[in-house]
Amino acid sequence: MTDLRDFPFYRPRLDGRGVPAPWSVEDLEDFAGAHDDPFAGRVRAGAKPRVALQIEATSEPPVWSSLDGRDLDAWAGAVSRLWARFGLGAGDSIAFFDYGSNPCVLLSSSIYVSHLRRGAATRLGASVICNDGVASMTARLLGILEAVHPSALVIRRDLIAPFVDALGTRGLPPGSRLRWAAVSEVEGAPARADAERLQAAIGAPVRRLLRADAAYLVSGDCPSCGLFHLDPAYRAEPLAGGGVALSARFAAECPAIGYRLDGAEIVGRGCAAERRAARLAWS
Amino acid sequence: MELNGRARPAEPFDRLDTLTPAALRRWWTKRLRGVLETAMSELPFYRSRFGAAGFDAKEFRSLDDLRRLPTFRKRDMLGRQAELQSHALGIERRADGRVGDTLTVSSGTSGTTFLTVNPRWRRRQGRSSARAHWWAGFRPGSPFVISAPAWHAYAAIQPYLAEFFDAPCVVVSGTYLPRYADRIVDALRRFRPRYVTMFLPMVFPILAAARRMGLEPRALFDRAEVLLVTGAPITAGMERHLKEMTGVGRIAEVAGATEGVLAVSCTERSGLHVVPDTCYVEALDPQTREPVPAGRRGSMVHCFLIPEGSVYLRYDTEDVITRDDSPCACGLPSPRIKIVGRWEASFRLGGETVVAYDVQLALEEAVPETVGMPFVISREGLNCGKLRLLMPEPEARAAALAERIVAALAERFGAGGEVAWVRELPLQFKGVAPVLSETQVG
Ligand SMILES: [Zn+2]
Ligand SMILES: [Zn+2]
Repeated sequence: MTDLRDFPFYRPRLDGRGVPAPWSVEDLEDFAGAHDDPFAGRVRAGAKPRVALQIEATSEPPVWSSLDGRDLDAWAGAVSRLWARFGLGAGDSIAFFDYGSNPCVLLSSSIYVSHLRRGAATRLGASVICNDGVASMTARLLGILEAVHPSALVIRRDLIAPFVDALGTRGLPPGSRLRWAAVSEVEGAPARADAERLQAAIGAPVRRLLRADAAYLVSGDCPSCGLFHLDPAYRAEPLAGGGVALSARFAAECPAIGYRLDGAEIVGRGCAAERRAARLAWS
Repeated sequence: MELNGRARPAEPFDRLDTLTPAALRRWWTKRLRGVLETAMSELPFYRSRFGAAGFDAKEFRSLDDLRRLPTFRKRDMLGRQAELQSHALGIERRADGRVGDTLTVSSGTSGTTFLTVNPRWRRRQGRSSARAHWWAGFRPGSPFVISAPAWHAYAAIQPYLAEFFDAPCVVVSGTYLPRYADRIVDALRRFRPRYVTMFLPMVFPILAAARRMGLEPRALFDRAEVLLVTGAPITAGMERHLKEMTGVGRIAEVAGATEGVLAVSCTERSGLHVVPDTCYVEALDPQTREPVPAGRRGSMVHCFLIPEGSVYLRYDTEDVITRDDSPCACGLPSPRIKIVGRWEASFRLGGETVVAYDVQLALEEAVPETVGMPFVISREGLNCGKLRLLMPEPEARAAALAERIVAALAERFGAGGEVAWVRELPLQFKGVAPVLSETQVG
C-alpha cells in the first residue's frame, strides 16, 4: 500500500484521513517550478526512475512521471482492454497518427518503451505501426493505409483536418480496411463534432478517447451509451461542486491519487454493453 | 594494445571484438550460411529468388560466393508491394504467431516500404546495437533520452539500449523538430545524460532553442562525454564544430540503413566499423556489380544477419560508400565504411559524380569559416553546369567570403561556382546540404 506521506507533492495536501486535496496539472507545474523538481514531488526521495515520461499537457515547466515495468504493464493492460472493447483482435493492425509519447502509442508495443513486457496491442495479437504526429506526414499515413491495411486508426485531433483534406482530394486508398478510428486530445476528450467529421470522411465509426496523462488515464467512449467507460484500473469519485477526482490504482512509483478531472461527471453503472463499468460523461 | 604485432581493442565488448580480420571473415561466412539457409527454407521471396539463380545455401563456402546471389533495390520491393498489395513481402520471419508484429517505416523519395520487428529481433538487434554504442563510448548508468515515436528503426532499438545500459529511459513528448526543441532541451537539462544520441539535423535547432531559453548551448551538455550523431555523414570540420558548440569531448558517428545496416566510428575516426553481428557490407560498382577497390566509391549492398523480422539479403540501399579493409589502429577487426550520400542525390560536375558531402568537404578545407554554415545546392545552377550555393548572408565581409568560396569550388570541381546570399536557411540544413530548386527555398 502506497503511503502518500512519502511523496513531497502529496504530503502537504493530505487531510486527517490521509486523502489528498484534488489537484490539477497546474499544481504539478507550480510544485515543479518552486522546487526545481522535474517529477513535481511525485517520486520518493532517492528513487531512480526506470522510465521517465514527459507529460505532454505540461509546459511551464514540463513535468515528468516515473514508471517501472510493473506500472507500465498494468497501464498497458488498461489500454489493451480499451482496444479490445473497440474491436481490435488477433490478425488486425492498428495505425497511430500521433507522437510516440502519447501513452496510447507508447504502450501499444513492447518495442516502443523500455521495461514494458507486453504491448497493449501486440498482446492481443495485433500488429502496430506509428507515424510522426505532424500534418506533413499525412501522405505517409495514406501509404500506410494502402499497404498495411490497418483495421484501426488512432489519430490526434489536430490531424483530422489535414487527413480529411487529403482524403477529399485522393480518396481513401483502395484496399483500405479501416473498421474504426479513435480521436485523441492532449488532455481531455475531443468534441463530438471532430469525431463526426472524421466518421463522415472514412465511412467507419469513430470513437473518442479521454486522456489525462498526469493520472495515466486513457478511456474511450461507448457506441451504445455514448459515455466514457472507466477501466477497473481507475477509481473515480465525485467532487463537491462538480468534476471528478480520479486515481490510478496501479501507479506505485509516481502515484496519481485525486487528480481533478474538470469537465467529467460520474454516471451510474449499467450500460448494456458493459454492465459493471463505471462511466463518465464529458463536456 | 599490441599483441603479436596486431592492435587489440582496449575495451572489447565481447570475444567477437577480439577476432582477427581473417577469423571474422570465417565467422561471417558461417553466420551468413545459417541466415541464407533460414531464408531458403522459410522466406518465400528468397526461396524463389535463390531457385531462379540456381543457388543452394548449403553450398555457400566463402564470402565471395555472395556474388552468385542477385542484388535488389527499393524499387523492386515497391513493385512487389504494389503487386501483392501488402506491406508483407515474403521476407518477414515471425517469432511468435500469438504476438503482433511492430512495423517500422523505410521512407524515401521513391516511396515507403515497411519492416516488421518483434521481441526476438529486439533481443538480438539490441545486443548488436549495444555493441555499436559501446564502441562509441557508451557505458552503463547514464539516462538515455530516446527518440519516440518508434516509426524509425533506430528509435525502435533505443528502449532496449536503455535497458541494456541499465539507464533510465527518458521519453520526450513530441520529438518533431524544430517545434518541440524546447522539450528536448528540458530533457537534457533535467537528466544530464553522459551519452547523448541525436540526428544531426536535430542538433542545431536544439542549440538554438537553448539560446532562446537563455541557456548556453554548452550548459545542455555539461555532463556529456559522448555525442553520437546519425542521419548525415560528418566531416572532420563538422566534428570540430560540434565539439566547439557543445563542449562534448567525443563526437561519434553512427550510420546505417533501416533495412539492417549498422556502422559506427571508433576512437581513430577514420571511417565507421561495420557492426559484424548486424550486417555484412559490400561496396559494389553500380554498373559492373563487382566490388570496388579500397577507397573508391561504390553502392552499399548488405546482408542483414539477424534472421528475425524483415530479412534483407544482398540488398542495394543505393547509398554511396567507400569501404576500407586495412587494419584499424583501434584493433576492431571489421572493415570500415563511410556513407557519403545517395546516388539519387548525386550530380555530375566537371566530368565527376559529386555528392553534397564533397562540396562541404571542399569548402571547409579551403574556407574554414564556412564550417557550420548551412547551405543549399541550387538545382537550377546544376542544370547549367554550375555549382550555385544559397547561403545565409554573414553580417560582415560577405563579398570577400563569396569570392573565396567561388575560387575554392572552381579549384576543387573545375566548374563555375556562385554564391547567392539569402536571409536565412533552416538550421536543419547544417551539415546536410540538400539539392533544391530555388523556388523551394523561397
Ligand atoms: Zn456504454
Ligand atoms: Zn577503428
